[in-house]
Amino acid sequence: MSTILLVEDNEMNRDMLTRRLQRKGFNVVVACDGLQGHKLAHSEMPDLILMDISLPEMNGWEVTRLLKSEGDTRHIPIIALTAHALSSDREKAFEAGCDEYDTKPLDFARLMGKIENLLTVKKS
Amino acid sequence: MKLQNLSIKRKLMLITMLTSTVALLLFSASFLFYDLISFRHFLSQDLATQAEIIGYNSAAAMAFKDEAAATVTLTALKAKEDITAAILYTPDGKAFTRYVRANIAAPSLVENQPKFEGIRFRNSYLEVVHAVSLNGEPVGTLFLQSDMSQWNTRAKRYAIFLLVFMLASDLLALLIASRLQTLISGPILRLEDTMHMVSAQKNYEVRALKFYDDEIGRLIDGFNTMLSEIQQGDSALQSANDTLKAQTLELESEINQRKQAQDELLSAKRTAEDASRAKSSFLANMSHELRTPLNAIIGYSEMIEEEIQDTGQFQNVQDVKKIQSAGKHLLSLINDVLDLSKIEAGKMGLHLENFEVAQMVQEMVSTFQPTIAKNSNKLEVSLAEDLGQMRADVTKVRQILFNLMSNACKFTNHGTVSLDVERNTTGNRQWLQFRVSDTGIGISPEQQKNLFKEFAQADVSISRKYGGTGLGLAISYRFAQLMGGYFTAESEPGKGSVFTVHLPAKVTSDAVEAAKAKETNGAQAEAPQPVSQADTILVIDDDPAVRDLMFRFLVKSGFNVVVAADGEEGLKLAKRVQPRIITLDVLMPGIDGWEVLRRIKADPELSGIPVIMVTIVDNEIMGLNLGSSSYVMKPVDRALLTDLIEKHRKGRPSNIADVPVGV
Repeated sequence: MSTILLVEDNEMNRDMLTRRLQRKGFNVVVACDGLQGHKLAHSEMPDLILMDISLPEMNGWEVTRLLKSEGDTRHIPIIALTAHALSSDREKAFEAGCDEYDTKPLDFARLMGKIENLLTVKKS
Repeated sequence: MKLQNLSIKRKLMLITMLTSTVALLLFSASFLFYDLISFRHFLSQDLATQAEIIGYNSAAAMAFKDEAAATVTLTALKAKEDITAAILYTPDGKAFTRYVRANIAAPSLVENQPKFEGIRFRNSYLEVVHAVSLNGEPVGTLFLQSDMSQWNTRAKRYAIFLLVFMLASDLLALLIASRLQTLISGPILRLEDTMHMVSAQKNYEVRALKFYDDEIGRLIDGFNTMLSEIQQGDSALQSANDTLKAQTLELESEINQRKQAQDELLSAKRTAEDASRAKSSFLANMSHELRTPLNAIIGYSEMIEEEIQDTGQFQNVQDVKKIQSAGKHLLSLINDVLDLSKIEAGKMGLHLENFEVAQMVQEMVSTFQPTIAKNSNKLEVSLAEDLGQMRADVTKVRQILFNLMSNACKFTNHGTVSLDVERNTTGNRQWLQFRVSDTGIGISPEQQKNLFKEFAQADVSISRKYGGTGLGLAISYRFAQLMGGYFTAESEPGKGSVFTVHLPAKVTSDAVEAAKAKETNGAQAEAPQPVSQADTILVIDDDPAVRDLMFRFLVKSGFNVVVAADGEEGLKLAKRVQPRIITLDVLMPGIDGWEVLRRIKADPELSGIPVIMVTIVDNEIMGLNLGSSSYVMKPVDRALLTDLIEKHRKGRPSNIADVPVGV
């Protein structure tokens, strides 16, 4: 069973996503802010990280950049979740090192597709 | 004290004195001289005569050698004071008898006869030697000597007299001169005083008094003339100065006003900027705030649906689906409203990027399959070969296409939805053309009027039946405009509809700015690139969509276009611009098209301009009676309109009844 780290500060979004992912068979670990997200990434070593961008303490770009620069977390695929849909955000995401990018409001099916994609690639 | 620097008065007096003194002196001197000379002559004559008389008187005595008698005769000379000596000589030259005036030193008395005859002046004595004779026989010689005392006395007297006379005359001359010199110096001194006064007081109104009409008088005249001129100059200067002061004050007050206005403007600007920032942050916040709870509603309801499906409670599934559907509808309404608010506030920006057109379309199309299938429709996509790249706001282009496609799908059942994409060049710019056509229910002419307006979905029942917010087309329309493009729509109820969006292949920020400005100022567009030689067409229509359509279409056809939103404005513009042709909408607020037409035909400046009525009102006859050149019904058949315009441009007679065929 794969582990997904969900870094999201909004309680309802966190709750929804966690339960839906669990129903799909994932083990879900949650963090409520950027710092906690960073800590948990190192301690839990998840198979994939879903990173909300607007976070307290440290925003999603920074956490992503950090994790991608640290040896033991570099390999973990990260999907950025953002409320904005500007092309500049897409660029920023990939520039920070994200592997994928999705916009809110989330289309769960679409998100699942991206998750499965990344996990399959990783495995192979 | 130099003589030249003496005062005029002194000079004049000095001149007079000098002149009169010199004259008197000359006169006196010559008079004296003449007089004394002639007196001397007289004296000598007189002495000579005396010598003769005495000689005559003593002739007898001499002849008879009567010394006593001779001496008596000589002594008689005592009576003559000036005779100093008288000596008679015998013929052999010896002194016979003599007389010498008392108390006189007998100077050069010679015993012997002096050896001359006649008169002589010697040592300030006058001497005469006269030969005495009796009856023609010389009996002796008489020597008479006189001192010049008479002469001296006379000389002295005369000299003193003349001196006194001269002095007296001089004095008199002085007096007269001192009185009369005022004739000359007076005016001059007055002039001098006047001059001092003028220069000391800077009073140029003063004038010097003119006394006499001589050179000085003329000098004074000249001086006065000069003063007048100075006075004029001075008063002109004064008034110029005053004007300058007044103007400076005016300028200052204007500057102050401007400064004030500037300050007001600056503060208004700051207020506007603050308001603008407030708007932006409001929109951003609202955007986020509104969407967040909706996401929860939609998300949770989806979750519940999934969980319920597992447990097989299908009744509940339907309920949950309804919640979802309402939530989703609400979300799209909110998105649309927020989009429109942003556009209205002028805050909708463009994020331009280059992308492959064909690729973008194909990605989109693939997401459409489910929607197509929903109404059992067929999808036909035709992409031209040369679509290449486009520079635009992808998200917006996608949104427009999505809107058109979903409309087409919504309003078509068991039909065909086609998407055609082409690239073409119009008026030295490249355009991408996206055409979505369907074989659906179509749109009635009435409904076409409100097509791109907000909240004007054909009618309420449609909205309920087919869903949708009614805002999609309005937003798509604005998005197209923002990017410098435009929309066209054609439809026939029952047959289907064709929506085409034309977008520049290279959207620029200029187009954005211009479009934004149009957005916030209302539609008062003028041709962006006026073709000066082209004819001008004036479009009068209250519907901004129609104005815009006509504008775009006519510009594409190569005309200069000006637009007006109502009759009054239209008439004003017509007079100013003198267009070649006027297109006129009938149904307008304010004065309606018929009235405008009447006024155009009544105005000599405008009556020659052909007018094409463009309207949905079927009143052709009225139009032709009033002298409208032609009559076209909305929705406008562009080909027909072009034909009409061409006809009228070429100046064929008006009043052609072109029966319209609305598509």
